[in-house]
Amino acid sequence: MENIHIEPTKRSPAIDFDFDSGNFSIAGESYPEDVNKFFGPLISQLKEYLSAAQGATIQFRFDLIYFNSTTAKIVMGLFEILDEAAAAGNTVNILWSFAADDSNMEELGEEFSEDLEHAKFVMTPKE
Amino acid sequence: MDSQTILQLRQEMIREGVLFYYCGYVTEQVLSVLGETVMDKLELDNTERPVARGVFSVFVEQVQNIIRYSAENQEGQVGERPVDLRHCMLAVGRDPAGLYVMSANAIKNRDVERLRSGLVHIHALDRTGLKAMHKEILRGETPTGSKGAGVGFVDIARLASRGFEFHFLALDDELSYFILKAHL
Repeated sequence: MENIHIEPTKRSPAIDFDFDSGNFSIAGESYPEDVNKFFGPLISQLKEYLSAAQGATIQFRFDLIYFNSTTAKIVMGLFEILDEAAAAGNTVNILWSFAADDSNMEELGEEFSEDLEHAKFVMTPKE
Repeated sequence: MDSQTILQLRQEMIREGVLFYYCGYVTEQVLSVLGETVMDKLELDNTERPVARGVFSVFVEQVQNIIRYSAENQEGQVGERPVDLRHCMLAVGRDPAGLYVMSANAIKNRDVERLRSGLVHIHALDRTGLKAMHKEILRGETPTGSKGAGVGFVDIARLASRGFEFHFLALDDELSYFILKAHL
């Protein structure tokens, strides 16, 4: 599967999906005009990769400065499919990086991680 | 509009502590520029970062709601391009206790009760309740097509550290003016 790299814009995050190494990241701002148009193709490729993954080590990093409420639905969906991949026997680490003074982003990370049963979750405050 | 009216408007805005004011049609492109300008203004004023981020987040949710739902709109084609303009008023201002973000837009009278009851419900929730509702909506357990319980309003309620208020004022037989003011 071809790796994905998308440059950030003011309204959409940088995307790095490295299927070869199992390293994934979403970083920056996210309030695109059409959330589904932006994330739809990314999620379907990720799903395809995850459904074929066996005994893989996957690291998914969220390093978001700001995201809107429609992006929040996408993030919630990502947590769900990553947890399913972990349930299927893969090692899945989800990293949630946030500005140390951003209690809202911290709270959202806690909220998204509450339902994880199999994936490992790490929160990292940044100065 | 005559020059005296413009001067009066300016003085009113200053009196109300308005830092930023917009009245007119919005599109996604307008949102990009307005959002950036609001952030720049808050930055130049040395606003605490968490507060500035909160104001920006509320502003984006409000404008995106308006882009989707304002009932005072004009649709058509400009050349090959479909255009959908939605009218609103927006303001970011300062009062003695902090900042506020206000939006106003027309909605259909028949939507008023649904929206009002959704907002009354959200308004009564504490932080734990808001968090639970936020999650319910994100999980798709609440109908998202309903304006009254959109996740955007729950987000605004969470971000409005000093609370939020809403008003519905009748415009005519068809429309009401929906005013939402979030205090941060």
